Amino acid sequence: MNTPTQFFNRILVVEDDPHLAAGIVDNLRAEGYGVHAITDGQQALDWLSEEQCGLIVLDVMLPQVDGFTVCRTLRQRGDSTPVLFLTARGDPADRVTGLEAGGDDYMAKPFHLQEFLLRVRAILRRWDWYRNASATPASAVLQFAGNEVDFRAFRARSWNGISQELTEKEAMILKVLAEHPGEIVSREDLLEKVWGYDVFPSTRTVDNFILRLRKRFERDPANPKHFLTVWGVGYRFMVEGEP
Amino acid sequence: MKATRVFQVTALALVVVAAVQAGWWLVDQRSYAIEKVRDARTLYTQQIVAAQALLDSGTSSDQVRTMMPGVAINGKRASLSPEVDQMLMSEEHRRINQYAWEGGFFLLALAVCNGVIFRALRAEARVRQEQDNFLALVSHQFKTPLASLQLSLETMAMRPLSPEQSRTLIDRMLSDLARMEAMVTQILESNRLERGRIDLKVEPIELGGAVGRVVSNMEERAAKEKITISADIARGMYVMADPLALDVVVRNLLENAIAAVTPVGGGTISLTARQVSGEVELSVRDTGVGFRPVDGARLFEKFTRLHPGGGSSYFGTGLGLYIVRRLMQLAGGRVSAHSEGVGQGAQFVLAWPVAPAEPT
Repeated sequence: MNTPTQFFNRILVVEDDPHLAAGIVDNLRAEGYGVHAITDGQQALDWLSEEQCGLIVLDVMLPQVDGFTVCRTLRQRGDSTPVLFLTARGDPADRVTGLEAGGDDYMAKPFHLQEFLLRVRAILRRWDWYRNASATPASAVLQFAGNEVDFRAFRARSWNGISQELTEKEAMILKVLAEHPGEIVSREDLLEKVWGYDVFPSTRTVDNFILRLRKRFERDPANPKHFLTVWGVGYRFMVEGEP
Repeated sequence: MKATRVFQVTALALVVVAAVQAGWWLVDQRSYAIEKVRDARTLYTQQIVAAQALLDSGTSSDQVRTMMPGVAINGKRASLSPEVDQMLMSEEHRRINQYAWEGGFFLLALAVCNGVIFRALRAEARVRQEQDNFLALVSHQFKTPLASLQLSLETMAMRPLSPEQSRTLIDRMLSDLARMEAMVTQILESNRLERGRIDLKVEPIELGGAVGRVVSNMEERAAKEKITISADIARGMYVMADPLALDVVVRNLLENAIAAVTPVGGGTISLTARQVSGEVELSVRDTGVGFRPVDGARLFEKFTRLHPGGGSSYFGTGLGLYIVRRLMQLAGGRVSAHSEGVGQGAQFVLAWPVAPAEPT
């Protein structure tokens, strides 16, 4: 097991309700995570500008700065620490707002402890996989058809010389595809690897991300040579490009 | 609810159609009256032509006058008699006036109906909107203690716990339940206040004694948070207030002050009273977190919580100060809040009418 001192095994809990915060902290500690608890949004932003953690459990209704704003601010700073929103507002519109703000997952209060712990584990596992898969200098960089992708910096330079900022999801999808060049990767596999379970209701989401990758890296996005659709199954990534 | 609305909208449409019809009828009747008077004049004109022909053929003026009473004969010339002319003119005016009054009355009545239905519809929409907001807010307020309760129970079910850990969780759950119970009480109370279903019995009350009783009930809890409450109220000040309402109002203000002082690690709450021009003012001053002066009015609105964190032993519902304001309004008093800013403490002032004469 990793020691709690490693930042990616440490969880920041931002929750203003003292009981709920205490309950979450106790349970995460019991699971072996290092936990730091903060009660308002501004303090969370201050703490995160100094410290690092593997996951932020973020309440939406917070004093000073609300959770959505905290998440947006982090993403603008270029901080890609995964965020699990925890909120009393559970309607679909809020869920979408949370994911748009850059959240990785969204749970409505009251929640089930087991499910909460599962989701925490799933997010950390996804990031663990991504970190390990980009650990060596060879795996940190992907080059194909004049494009160059830096997985650790979430940056890329495309064939026409334009530099691109990748979102975490785009980078993760690219990573999954690049790990299986020339092979068919199903939409379900991508969903499972990149999103975990049931956050997004449909596999259409994956299709939208593939379209975005094509726009970034294909010379002719309408006639892709690298990100190929395999009808009814998923996608195939060709490093050399299809003839 | 829905059927009523359909009925109201249909009624509104019918009334509008009726108003348009009444307007049309009015215009139509007016032109009909004018047309008929013109027809009458045409007939008279034909008579005059005939009378002139008779005069010209040598019939005597008297004979013509007897045959055609509406014709005036001046020498050898026939013309319309001034009385008839006057009569036709006044008849035209009478009819137009009659239609204008009748039609105007109809239109006015219909416009009033329209207004009444429209207002009812709008009021209903507003009530529905308020209910929706209230429900959304209430359910939101309940979800946090519910989540905490569920988390504690699931922790107990899932993990082996030491007796101390179990004790902590049980205390936490009991406190969550108390919090939810307090919310239900406050929600019901505020709802009753809103519908004005509270009968206040205003009577002379000795302020110092009444405040002292509330303070002594809360001193112990305040001491736990390192807060001292001091009440310096001269004996013999009588206010006109409802005893129960006064108790609730002072208690809510003290709860609010404790919640404001707890986060800064303790402090003081001081109560003072003074008589000013027909009123007795009770001031509750704390050394707590304070608020921005612009938030002063918003504090008394429903579900306003400027410091949702509160203290570790206090969970606000956002209804306490709303209840204070409503109760003060109903009892003919008033309440206001002042703060120099965040971190500067706060002062709440309650004012009741002074009791007219010292009771025996």
